[in-house]
Amino acid sequence: MLPYNLYLFFVFVAICVPSLKCGDVVHLSASESADKLEAVPSLSTAAIVSKPAVDTVFSFSLLSSFPDDLEVSDYCSDLLHIFGQRYVAYVNCLVPAARPVKVCQSCYSTYGNLVEIYNNISSDQMGPGNVTCRDSLLRSDRLMLVYQLYSNLESLWEDSNCAKCVTEHLESLTNDTLYFMATLNQTLTCFEKYQQGNHTELCKNCKSAYGTLNVLYSQMEKNSTLCIDIEDAMNMTRRLWSKNFNCSFPREENVPVIAVSSFMLFLPIIFYLSSFLHSEQKKRKLIHPRRAKSNTSLMNIQDKLS
Amino acid sequence: MANITKKVSWSSRGDDSGLAGEGTPLLNGTEIPKPSRQLSGSGSVFRIGRFSTVDLEDDITSEEVKFELPTSLLSFCLFLFYVFDEIKCIHLSLFLEEERRMSHMGFRCLEISRWVICGLIGILTGLIACFIDIMVEKLAGCKYQVIKENIEKFTEVGGLSISLILWAVLNCAFVLVGGIMVAYIEPIAAGSGIPQIKCYLNGVKIPRVVRLKTLLVKVLGVICSVAGGLAVGKEGPMIHSGAVVAAGVSQGRSTSLKRDFKMFEYFRRDTEKRDFVSAGAAAGVSAAFGAPVGGVLFSLEEGASFWNQMLTWRIFFASMISTFTLNFFLSIYHGKPGDLSNPGLINFGRFESDSVAYYYYELPLFMGMGAIGGLLGALFNSINYWLTIFRIRYVHRPCLQVMEALLVAAVTATVSFTMIYFSNDCQPLGPEHNEEYPLQLFCADGEYNSMATAFFNTPERSVRSLFHNQPGSYNPLTLGLFTLTYFFLACWTYGLAVSAGVFIPSLLIGAAWGRLCGILLASFTPTSPIWADPGKYALIGAAAQLGGIVRMTLSLTVIMVEATGNVTYGLPIMLVLMTAKIVGDYFQEGLYDIHIKLQSVPFLHWEAPATSHWLTAREVMSSPVTCFNRIEKVGTIVDVLSNTSTNHNGFPVVVQPAKLCGLILRSQLIVLLKHKVFVELARSRLSQRKLQLKDFRDAYPRFPPIQSIHVSQDERECMMDLTEFMNATPYTVPQDTSLPRVFKLFRALGLRHLVVVDDENRVIGLVTRKDLARYHLGKHGLEELQLAQT
Repeated sequence: MLPYNLYLFFVFVAICVPSLKCGDVVHLSASESADKLEAVPSLSTAAIVSKPAVDTVFSFSLLSSFPDDLEVSDYCSDLLHIFGQRYVAYVNCLVPAARPVKVCQSCYSTYGNLVEIYNNISSDQMGPGNVTCRDSLLRSDRLMLVYQLYSNLESLWEDSNCAKCVTEHLESLTNDTLYFMATLNQTLTCFEKYQQGNHTELCKNCKSAYGTLNVLYSQMEKNSTLCIDIEDAMNMTRRLWSKNFNCSFPREENVPVIAVSSFMLFLPIIFYLSSFLHSEQKKRKLIHPRRAKSNTSLMNIQDKLS
Repeated sequence: MANITKKVSWSSRGDDSGLAGEGTPLLNGTEIPKPSRQLSGSGSVFRIGRFSTVDLEDDITSEEVKFELPTSLLSFCLFLFYVFDEIKCIHLSLFLEEERRMSHMGFRCLEISRWVICGLIGILTGLIACFIDIMVEKLAGCKYQVIKENIEKFTEVGGLSISLILWAVLNCAFVLVGGIMVAYIEPIAAGSGIPQIKCYLNGVKIPRVVRLKTLLVKVLGVICSVAGGLAVGKEGPMIHSGAVVAAGVSQGRSTSLKRDFKMFEYFRRDTEKRDFVSAGAAAGVSAAFGAPVGGVLFSLEEGASFWNQMLTWRIFFASMISTFTLNFFLSIYHGKPGDLSNPGLINFGRFESDSVAYYYYELPLFMGMGAIGGLLGALFNSINYWLTIFRIRYVHRPCLQVMEALLVAAVTATVSFTMIYFSNDCQPLGPEHNEEYPLQLFCADGEYNSMATAFFNTPERSVRSLFHNQPGSYNPLTLGLFTLTYFFLACWTYGLAVSAGVFIPSLLIGAAWGRLCGILLASFTPTSPIWADPGKYALIGAAAQLGGIVRMTLSLTVIMVEATGNVTYGLPIMLVLMTAKIVGDYFQEGLYDIHIKLQSVPFLHWEAPATSHWLTAREVMSSPVTCFNRIEKVGTIVDVLSNTSTNHNGFPVVVQPAKLCGLILRSQLIVLLKHKVFVELARSRLSQRKLQLKDFRDAYPRFPPIQSIHVSQDERECMMDLTEFMNATPYTVPQDTSLPRVFKLFRALGLRHLVVVDDENRVIGLVTRKDLARYHLGKHGLEELQLAQT
């Protein structure tokens, strides 16, 4: 669901971005919504280059304009433009990486770019002409489109735990990750090698490679340096190993287990039997209470009742 | 009771202090003005009148009772050695005098110290709960970690039967420690302690039930048994622990440690102590379930015959403090200091999402589940009843009891292991690792054995995972097998000589079959599976099962509602508990009542048996009665007290010919003998300090046995004047009073002894609690139990 939404979002942004010059986002998005869907095919291809697309939409949106002081400055609209481009780039990178999951490995740099431009927009620093774009772009209307778009992708990034696999400034993958990928490759190569023919062969020969991978994985799990890419790769490998090649442990010790447990279960029976037979029964002395009349026995009560 | 005392003090304001200062020796034989004469102001008569209502009720004889052991399985006897409590205060005249001496401020301070004590009770109970929780978590954590590693190792190389043995041995080791402590050191600490506390609040003193040693054994024992993997919980023992803490704190000393802190001496008597014990029980409940209101209601439900509004408010204070103390320290332990949102030992987790809403058409389903709970509960109780009788008869030696506990521990481990081993139910590991110790065994990598989440875990965590795991994390076969085995394990475990509660196992059984119901419902109605959330049905099933076993009503509803933290579940839970109780009562009593009965405690229920109106006091009473004269020879008293066959506790005091003039207790006589308050001695030693109320309090609650008091041959010839010390205005009834009426007097006033007199005020008999508790409504009408001596 999420990727699809994002796709629409970026389309949406591409439509709206250029129009900002003329008015505010809410206004435009309403007027343009009908065109949005039709614009998808052309925009999605054009978005990367982005300039031509902007032009086509531009003509639509020039319905009216506000006085200068309410307008977004040129500097801001440039920022917005760049934001749009990078947004599109990132989403374009994400979608093909959805299955099998490679979102961290392949898209961390585009995400870095996006973060950079967003930080520019949201920073306090004055640009040329003493303007700051934070207020005008991020929070001058109810929809807060730029902010919403960005925070969607940001939460996606957080959910995927990609930060664990990428160095701090989003420059490259961490060594751990690279090492894991290398180990994973070894294992997969091994799988490929023995895939033909008997799987028991595979189970025997790839066991060490798979074992190393498993150990490495659980170690990373302990240090919590896992991101979605690694988790997914591991899941797939495990499924291959257990389900496809059927290499998990067989249940083959039924006899000893059953023997030991029936022995254990037998003990209480002996215990209760022997205590029943040998232990003397505890008896209590009954006391005959002193009563005014000897009417204390059950018999008498019954008589009286009847 | 506390209120009445207060009233008295209020009425005695005024010029008393001067009188009190006179300090006339109270020894007998001297010309001591009677208190009534001392008070001869205009108000004094009135005052005395009040007083007598205060004190009167104490009483006489007592026998002690203990329950019996069935010669035929179905009959019970009451045991002769339970002593009833003194509900009322002692010693009219001494008490009056102390009251006079106390200033207005003094009573203020008393009131404040009651609050302080309640606060202390709350804090200490919370700390104990915290200690238990952390210890169990640590020990069980270590145990499961070791076993898990072992299983993982042997899954690969073979030899899983060794893991099985390791598991059984570890379990046994823990249980051995707990079992030895309970069986050899303090047998009264066995079980959940709730039946004992119920009796205590009912007015029956069971020996050693609120001792410090009991507390230690209870706390350590419960840690061992939970960590030992038995099918038990730590909630019931918490209630007992709270009660012991309360009894200890309120007395300001420990007789076991022989330390007296010289504090709170005023509270050293049964009435006050019982009030604090009910606060302690409430604090225990509230620490166990995070349910302060439930705790208060529990105390009221179990001990409500002595109830007043201020006391309730103090009890509530104690419970609140206890749950938040627990909370506070657990938050520190979990590394989030100051986060107070995690109350209770058992945490049901939050039921908040939309899927746990319920609709009107589900109510009949819930009630149906309540009925199932009632049936299963009755079955559970019946099995446990027969088992307990067997245990009382044949497994009564401590070494046998320890062995039995060990066997149960070993079998529990074995059964759990076998179930896990043969289970084919594999589920993928969740993202946030709900499963504390996931076992893979023969599952595919990345999956875990779902039977293991139920068995390979402390019972509380299993309950929580049944409530909250995603739909689909258990398959029906797993749940069915689990319910079946756990039902029998829990039933077998309750009543062993280990300290352990039955709440959690009941919840667990119920949650398992409740979840099963939820899953089946969802599969029958494929169109609208939204409302059939298994977690919700697990909760309802848990409530039904628990209600079916313990048969508590109001307090249990509130406890469940508070523990889930969701008031909207109030209605379904109440309906479920009602149905469970109705259905269950049709077949069998509640588990706690069964155990009270099996321990032969003379427990007074709310009402006299229904068909007992034709019985009169004359038929119920014991007769003839051992009486003392007002001025009695020491030798006679010593002889009567040392006679083991008539182990009476209270004696009417008469003037010839047999006219009733008062009532005196065994404990009072013993204190008098110890201090040698004889008429002759008093003459010779006029300057001797007078006997004060303090002397009685210091002796409380462990009055020395008569054998420890040495009375020389000369002294045997002395006389003792009982006038000063007896209760001069005991309650009496004419001999034709009906049993239900006598019963009401006992229940409402908390009497211990009731003197039966004829129309000339001559003593003809004495009714005690035991005389009343003997009658019960059986299958064939009214039945009478036998008294037995142990």
